[in-house]
Amino acid sequence: MAESGRGGRQRAAAEALGVAVAARVPVLLWGAPGTGKTSAIRAMADGMGWPCETVIASIREPSDFAGLPVVIGEEVRFAPPAWARRLAAAGRGLLFLDELSTAPPAVQAALLRVVLERVVGDLDLPPGVAVVAAANPPEQAADGWDLSAPLANRLCHLPWDVDPLAVADGLAGGFPVPEVPVLPDGWESEQHLALALVGAFLHARPALASAPPADAASAGRGWPSPRTWEMAARLWAAGGAAGVSGEARSALVVGAVGDGAGAEFLAWLMEMDLPDPEAVLADPASFRLPKRADRAYAAVAAVAAVVEADPTPDRWRAAWQVLGLAASSAPDVAAVAARVLARCRPDGVSLPAEVRLFAPVLRDAGLLHG
Amino acid sequence: MADAAGGLAGLAAARLWAAAHYPFLASAIFAGQVVPAPGIGTVAVDPGWRLWADPDLVATWTVAELGSVLVHHVCHLLREHGRRAGAAGVAAAQARAWIRSADAEINDDLIPAGLELPGDPVLPAHLGCASGLLAEQYFAASRAGVPADRPGSAHHAGASWLDCGSGADGLGRSWQAGGPAALPPWQARLLQRLVAQQILAARQAGNVPAGLLRWADDVLTPRVDWRRALAAELRKAVADTAGAVDYSYRRPSRRATVAGNVVLPALRRPVPDVAVVCDTSGSMSDDLLAASLAEVEGLLSALGLARRLRVLACDAAVGAAQRVSSARQVTLAGGGGTDMGAGIAAAAALRPRPAVIVVLTDGYTPWPDGPPRGSKVVVGLLGEQAPDAPAWARAIRVPADAGR
Repeated sequence: MAESGRGGRQRAAAEALGVAVAARVPVLLWGAPGTGKTSAIRAMADGMGWPCETVIASIREPSDFAGLPVVIGEEVRFAPPAWARRLAAAGRGLLFLDELSTAPPAVQAALLRVVLERVVGDLDLPPGVAVVAAANPPEQAADGWDLSAPLANRLCHLPWDVDPLAVADGLAGGFPVPEVPVLPDGWESEQHLALALVGAFLHARPALASAPPADAASAGRGWPSPRTWEMAARLWAAGGAAGVSGEARSALVVGAVGDGAGAEFLAWLMEMDLPDPEAVLADPASFRLPKRADRAYAAVAAVAAVVEADPTPDRWRAAWQVLGLAASSAPDVAAVAARVLARCRPDGVSLPAEVRLFAPVLRDAGLLHG
Repeated sequence: MADAAGGLAGLAAARLWAAAHYPFLASAIFAGQVVPAPGIGTVAVDPGWRLWADPDLVATWTVAELGSVLVHHVCHLLREHGRRAGAAGVAAAQARAWIRSADAEINDDLIPAGLELPGDPVLPAHLGCASGLLAEQYFAASRAGVPADRPGSAHHAGASWLDCGSGADGLGRSWQAGGPAALPPWQARLLQRLVAQQILAARQAGNVPAGLLRWADDVLTPRVDWRRALAAELRKAVADTAGAVDYSYRRPSRRATVAGNVVLPALRRPVPDVAVVCDTSGSMSDDLLAASLAEVEGLLSALGLARRLRVLACDAAVGAAQRVSSARQVTLAGGGGTDMGAGIAAAAALRPRPAVIVVLTDGYTPWPDGPPRGSKVVVGLLGEQAPDAPAWARAIRVPADAGR
């Protein structure tokens, strides 16, 4: 139970938060009021020795983010507020936008450039500044608004769930502080690999390249667009470079592009790890059965499926050779594929020797007739 | 490990039996790691997709029985009974009742599909319920008390009891120490989606039980809670028309006189009026309408607009606008035919003109060609069978069980 049990999800969310900050991807924590989002973010900044400017979006005016229009002679300048000047002077730090979902629509619109381009009025914030936000789900904050779709699309959304047991531990022994991992030099070159992976995935599933949400309720969360896919690739690469858990990496991808598209991408990545069935048929001796039984099943079922689609005698015999290799360590897994092959035996081909390997397990399972 | 047969006689044959009889569950069946656990007296799952099996018990079962137990346990994991037990507030004392309810949810359509579980598997009839419900519903029924005169209701009280483990009720077990690594939750979620896709792909073959098909549909296209959807659409409509508290440069701020050269926006707070048009024709269900109306009312009071609510009852003719302070005060006057167009027109004619018109209907009505000028229309379609609303309105479907 070690990794799936107590506080596992919360730990993964904290890890994911650290990676997003390290990669300078704007991130938004969703959680009920009083669950420690604000204190976690402040503790993270303290731990790094970074300045943290907290700006509560719901009590601010649009001009606090778009700059205060000041008439000077003939022109209007947009003066940045003091917190932006302090961050710019420090050169790095956390800009923490609290209570994002209770900000009125005009303030959300003014935040668009701040969140993604780090531009406040006429001032550019330095690249060392990370943007972190927190929000309560609209159904939990009486005066909440759903995030507008364009603002939602600029953020990686992380759920901040509270595990009751982790709270019990935390009250007694202190809550874990999210750490910002130090990414090794040159990690950004990994990003090209991740982008290539995303590109290959979108080639296979073009409908997921851009899918704006249809209803108001899901518009306020992550949804797939070219911008969020790029964000997902950056986060995937950063998560790999930081060596965080698979749970945290998956939370980052799902947070950027949304539940459905994120899960499809992760499933596709896992499928990429399986041996290519056509390559296996071309050289059956090279086949190595994956260790996990369900992955092993996926691998041999894929081989059987491509043979069933095009059952030439050579391919059919090669597939039996593959199953023969699998039979010693996983007779049941291989036998499922063997039943598929037996159904598509090409005319005039004699039964290969491997068939005999499966007779005992098929008989035990009551599947051998006659 | 791939050598899953290790230490447990008949496991390989049992998995093959299960995968052959339930090919759409094969990925899940092979994903479960079986761990021999002598002396626990049962076969139990944990949320990390490990099955702890007592070899002495398993030795007394046939291959088909062990295979059926594997399928049954895998369904506990796919249907996330452990997590749902936490959400349903199941404490240790009720764990047994919950597991029986979860068993009933699985068995009600797998036993007819040929599952051969050892002992006396729990069926909905044993809990005094109809088939096809969710574990939460069976659990609520069993807590309400099983009627004693039902045949078979007592049959389980002393029957041989097999603990399905923490994968079924979310509570830890003493034997879950050591063993192989658990499947991390994110991979478990991917596995769940993969199995759901394979189930839907097998739909053509026609031998997938309807309950599993429904489950797979829900996993791949999760149903958004209608309350959440309705709330989001209402908030959006109110925000779009009014901007409950929003900033505008249309008029200078009152503070501008003290702010020197800084141009400040003014706060504007137009308060939108909301009208609700209720379909009261004969085909409507009172409970469903009351539930929807109560939800609308609750949302508006959360937005501070409850006193601005006017309700119109409408069938082919329109009843007078009623000002109500609670959903229960609405009298369903109607009967007969339906024309929501008349209701919307009557709502738009109210003064002050409502900025948002909410229509609660079963959908069997003619609609006007467009929304009334200056008003946004949100339609609550009550019941799954309701025909679609016109494209110019934002529509929310309210499931038929919402009124219960």
